[in-house]
Amino acid sequence: MKDREIDAILNQAAQAPHEVDPALLASIANSVGRSLDPVRPLPPSWTLAGGLFLIGAAVATAGAGRLGFYGIHKMSVLDRALIFPALGLLMWLAATTCVAEMIAGSRRRVSPAILVGAGSLALVGVFAILFRDYHTHSFVHQGVACLTAGLLHAIPVALASWFLLRRGFAVNPVAAALVAGTLAGLAGVTMLELHCPNFEAPHVMLWHTAVVPVSGAAGALLGWLRHRQG
Amino acid sequence: MHSESDLEILMARYQQGDYAAATALIHQLSAQLHRFFLVQSAGRGDADDLLQETWLRIHEVRHTYRTGEPVLPWFYAIARHIRVDHYRKSRRTAGREQPLEEVPEPAAVQPSASRSAGDLQELLAPLPESQREVIEMLKVAGMSLEEVARATSSTVGSVKQKAHRAYAKLRERLSSAGLSEGRAGGPA
Repeated sequence: MKDREIDAILNQAAQAPHEVDPALLASIANSVGRSLDPVRPLPPSWTLAGGLFLIGAAVATAGAGRLGFYGIHKMSVLDRALIFPALGLLMWLAATTCVAEMIAGSRRRVSPAILVGAGSLALVGVFAILFRDYHTHSFVHQGVACLTAGLLHAIPVALASWFLLRRGFAVNPVAAALVAGTLAGLAGVTMLELHCPNFEAPHVMLWHTAVVPVSGAAGALLGWLRHRQG
Repeated sequence: MHSESDLEILMARYQQGDYAAATALIHQLSAQLHRFFLVQSAGRGDADDLLQETWLRIHEVRHTYRTGEPVLPWFYAIARHIRVDHYRKSRRTAGREQPLEEVPEPAAVQPSASRSAGDLQELLAPLPESQREVIEMLKVAGMSLEEVARATSSTVGSVKQKAHRAYAKLRERLSSAGLSEGRAGGPA
């Protein structure tokens, strides 16, 4: 049997008339008609994504400003030229994916899980290229401090993102929360790169990058809990 | 089948609070949404409930549709969400309930290659849910691969793969049905 023949069978089956109870349609129309106020459509995707990007950048810059821009001052021109564009690109990708997750029927350029995994790996790759000092000093103590600082800066970004996108409708709340958490985590990493002067490769590759998957996982967990309760 | 631009115009008027446009959309799209639920193994009563719930949700979130974007993926993404949510809730409820008696499994229906205008629901029954919804959107709703990808939050490649696998399974089933019919109807 050829595809064309299957097509023909499916098309014929699909063309068979299908009726819905008129009383049901009337009841739906009545329910809808009871609260039919004009609504303001959501702004274009790029406006929302731009808003999310700016929120992330602003929180990262403000956080580093408060703690000190020691990291960026210690960096070479090459470090700056690779790290910040990479973070910017990932943040933009996360912001557009986040907006797509909040609007039903949007085009997905990348799946949320791939964004977290590939984004984290890309960061590890950039850090591995730039930082060659494999000595460690107070590895866990300094690492936990950086992870905590990154996550603390991710929280306001996640809250502001939620506020900006509260009018949206996520058909998959867990995926939407995972992306929002990832975006917030990337803002946390940006703050750490601006602030942290510890350039030991294991420290940066593990503790700085960990902010992204930890924040993403926290977002997904919250999304899942909220969805279960809803 | 409705033209995409007509639906877009109706949707824009619906957002502006036009009751006639809302009613027109309900009448134009309900049959295919209802069929979508039926094909996904819902009973008639469940399909009615899901349709009603879908329209209420569409009404709640009608501001999230943006003019210029394809309409059908937006509708189907919401319908799909309602179906998945309903399935999840009913599974949770079923998990808490104790069955009173064993319910016998319904006998699998063998599709017939010669039944041209056969029941779509029956025809697609052997397919897994994800393949069934892709075929339903492509063949009944007349959506493009790109639109199905948007509605199912996946990529065009993944939709193509599901459609390909569904066709392979249907080919196998329909060919074996045709073969057994041929044997049964052949000379003794």
